Amino acid sequence: MTVTSLAEGRPAFARARRRRRVPTAWIPYLFLAPALIWYAAFLVYPMLQSLYISFFDWDGLSPTMTFVGLKNYIDIFMSDEVARLALWNNILWTLGALVLPTAIGLMLALALNRRVPGSTLFRTIFYSPAVLPLVAVGLIWAWVYNPNFGVVNTTLKAVGLRTWAAGWLSSYELALPATFVTFVWSHVGFPMIFYLAGLQAISKEYYEAATIDGANAFQRFRHVTLPGLTETHVIVLSLAVINGFKVFDLVYTMTYGGPGRSTQVLGTWMYFQTFQYYHAGYGSALAWVIAAIVLVIAIPYIRRMSR
Amino acid sequence: MRGMRLLAATALAGLVAFSAAAEAKETLRLMTVFDAPTVQLWEPVLAAYNEANPDYEVKMETVAGSGAAVYPDVLRTAMASGDPPDVFFMWGGEIAGPFIRAGQVAVLDSYYDKYGWDKVVAPWTIERITRDGHKYGVPFHARGMGLWYRVDLFEKYGLSEPKTYDELAKVCSTFKENGIYCASFGGKFGWQTMRLLDYFIETTCGPEEHDKLNALQSSWNQPCVVAAYDRMAQWVKDGWLVPDFLNVAPNDARMAVYSGDAAMVFEGGWFEGVLKSDEQPMENFKFFLPPTDHTPVRYSAFPEQWMIPEASKHKDAAAALINWLTIADTQKKFPEAFTASATIGVESDCSVAPRDCEWKKILTSDSQTYPPTDQAFTKELIDGFFEVQDGVVAGKITPTDAAAQMQAKAEAWKAKQKS
Amino acid sequence: MFADVRNQRRLEQTLLFISLLVLSLIWLTPFATVVMSAIRSQGDLLSRGVFSWPKAIAWKNFSEAWHTGDFSIYFRNSLFLIFIKVPLGIFIAALAAYPLAKMRFRFSGAIFIFFLAGLAVPVQVTLQPLLVMMKQLGIANSIFALIPPYVAFGLPFQIFVLRGFFRLIPSELLEAARLDGASEWTAFLRVMLPLSVPALATLCIIDVLNTWNEFLIALVLISAKESRTVPVGLLQFQGEYSSQYTLLMAGILISIIPVIVIFIFLQRYFVAGLTSGAVKG
Repeated sequence: MTVTSLAEGRPAFARARRRRRVPTAWIPYLFLAPALIWYAAFLVYPMLQSLYISFFDWDGLSPTMTFVGLKNYIDIFMSDEVARLALWNNILWTLGALVLPTAIGLMLALALNRRVPGSTLFRTIFYSPAVLPLVAVGLIWAWVYNPNFGVVNTTLKAVGLRTWAAGWLSSYELALPATFVTFVWSHVGFPMIFYLAGLQAISKEYYEAATIDGANAFQRFRHVTLPGLTETHVIVLSLAVINGFKVFDLVYTMTYGGPGRSTQVLGTWMYFQTFQYYHAGYGSALAWVIAAIVLVIAIPYIRRMSR
Repeated sequence: MRGMRLLAATALAGLVAFSAAAEAKETLRLMTVFDAPTVQLWEPVLAAYNEANPDYEVKMETVAGSGAAVYPDVLRTAMASGDPPDVFFMWGGEIAGPFIRAGQVAVLDSYYDKYGWDKVVAPWTIERITRDGHKYGVPFHARGMGLWYRVDLFEKYGLSEPKTYDELAKVCSTFKENGIYCASFGGKFGWQTMRLLDYFIETTCGPEEHDKLNALQSSWNQPCVVAAYDRMAQWVKDGWLVPDFLNVAPNDARMAVYSGDAAMVFEGGWFEGVLKSDEQPMENFKFFLPPTDHTPVRYSAFPEQWMIPEASKHKDAAAALINWLTIADTQKKFPEAFTASATIGVESDCSVAPRDCEWKKILTSDSQTYPPTDQAFTKELIDGFFEVQDGVVAGKITPTDAAAQMQAKAEAWKAKQKS
Repeated sequence: MFADVRNQRRLEQTLLFISLLVLSLIWLTPFATVVMSAIRSQGDLLSRGVFSWPKAIAWKNFSEAWHTGDFSIYFRNSLFLIFIKVPLGIFIAALAAYPLAKMRFRFSGAIFIFFLAGLAVPVQVTLQPLLVMMKQLGIANSIFALIPPYVAFGLPFQIFVLRGFFRLIPSELLEAARLDGASEWTAFLRVMLPLSVPALATLCIIDVLNTWNEFLIALVLISAKESRTVPVGLLQFQGEYSSQYTLLMAGILISIIPVIVIFIFLQRYFVAGLTSGAVKG
């Protein structure tokens, strides 16, 4: 037995060695090359250009730019009250995004991973808002929240909660939370399908083994499911942080930063500065501040969790 | 001899090149904000031009999207990347300001001399697009704004078009007593609410002072401005406006009027077209210029214009196209494409578009106008103005504080310009 | 005894089903509004309120939206984008994720971080440099101008996700393949990719949606009508002073059909990993 297997093994090795003409050390880089080149050319390069612009006072239109060194960055931190408010809004948003859509998405994934009738349909329904283009989301939710004919207020009034009816998006205090509810609605499918994919990768044998050991449903969840989802958690949670600080289009579409400036986030403020106030240098600096915050928070977490 | 031959060869080559150019039409890029229905109305216009014009083929590129939200962003990027169109649509006043200051817009003074546009379009529109004595655009639309009201509701409560501010206030309190909101506004983006505030300022401060305020020549921190903010606060507090409107989209604000929950909207001459596309009974809507208690009664109006980028390679052809689009002869051939025209002597068909016809008479007469503040201020300053305005509407800022804050914003902005 | 367990399971299932049903009804309400608005006349929608029942069904909205919106052009462009961009982008990302997940080499950590950094980049500030680049490449204003930035902006996310899922594939399987004489390339194609089908399908769906609905880059890089994509095309229903809500909603409904078809098609691959059974920890 042993002899034959060795005899069969040897030619296989020999064949492999002959076929591999590329030095082994190069292989990883060859795999990486297309992505690295593409990424460097069409993402890193334009981003570095914006870094360059961030040291200038420039309207984004004139042929000339004035070098101002770090002034844009200093202004952001020292004298820009809207940026401070925006940062605070981003922090709140991110904290919410870490908890709500993630938890709901995980619960949905767990539920739909069982043999529930119509699970395919449910999966499609919970993911369906992601299908809608932003213009539709903005328009529909503006109607849902409309103080007069909106479905939220009419429902509240119909069930006798007249005093709960509110201006939602028109209120300084409620506009951001209301926008966040829309975010949960539209983004819950995202963690859901990730957790679904993650759950597929957990071997059934673990569950069988745990059941034989007498673990109840909760114990199985605690000791088999959750640890098995570690890689998925890293993906879902770090993306929640990253997208929480980069949030732009939903806020821009639904509140336009208002009422007043109450719902400005860093992403919208950067857009206003760059495109509407014609401060391309300042806007680029804001973009780099956003990127820096994201990197400082997310990267150590990702590195630590996925060693 | 050799020299002669060379010369002949060059001339021949030049001739060949010339005829080749004449055969292949150059493209003239025209950039607009038109939506699908307007594009359809414009197709025959451009087809007629292309047919009559052997050298250039006009291609329209359009970036629709409500209000001034999307189009300027696209235009800006195109220009800054050295990829400008040859003719582009632009609103009046300060929305064009950054493009002009950046040297991206061609001065059209010489073309004004050549084509005599001064005599062709309404004088106030030219005045409004002139900056530092130069003309950078050619007025194309003349838009005026007023209060549009539901005729049936006015009749039901025995009301007539108000002639003074007090009469207007009476109209509103009558509606309020009968459970109808006087007017509906959409506060998102700020500019629709601004129309009401602009009107209050015109009323409380008077024409001269209003102009000075818009030019930042007088302080915003003065009693008449406080009085204007005060009126805004009172209209909200007394329930004359459909409540909680700060983040309602301007186009959605109309629904309250269509359903009869509110009686009026502050809209421009375009509202007639809106009513048509919204399938509302047009005879049920009329407008009046809000009474200012000053003479002459000025109203809010603004031009929209054609501009030519400094970097365009076909400026002469672009100017010729603009001229062709501006002259009355062309516009009369395509009346549907040229509603709200700034050109003198192009009458709308009063039986088809009665309100547009009325507006046309007002706008090309010697009536006087004031600019909406968002065309007087840069976007950065107007957003400060909107911030204060929102604060007053929400009851977060008192009228007195609002005037002071507005002045502080104006000063901060001026200081920033100097540095 | 067994009957008890079975009953309890059935009760659990029923409760689960009912709560999912309620939740999905809530989830569908805004969606239903889109449908309700798409099948009525503008006047009906605006005078009687968007949440009222339509007075009459206006099917003609769909054909009108299709024609006035020139959807045939936008559809062709968007579909073309999806069929080129999504496979290309995910394949390149998978190539890069493979060594990052399964090989030891110098700078692997640094390269991973380098890719991750791309997640932090706000796309808005790169618009202008991108437009200049596309002009220099001579593809500005054509649908091809969208492929380089779309692929580039998808890479960080896709590499990040695929690396995570690739790490779950037991290295023993790869070792076995190598021992059988497979090159890294074959191991990648024959072992890694087939075992990662659920993750790849998930990424495909996300990428299809992102590509289909991407607005800002498409808006700025393309001004010619012939090369526009669906989301930019939808703008045409929103004029300077008015919106054609009903046509817009009809247009939106038309526009999401391909995505839903793709979603339903790819769905079954979500669970493919279960049946392949080769995954062992």
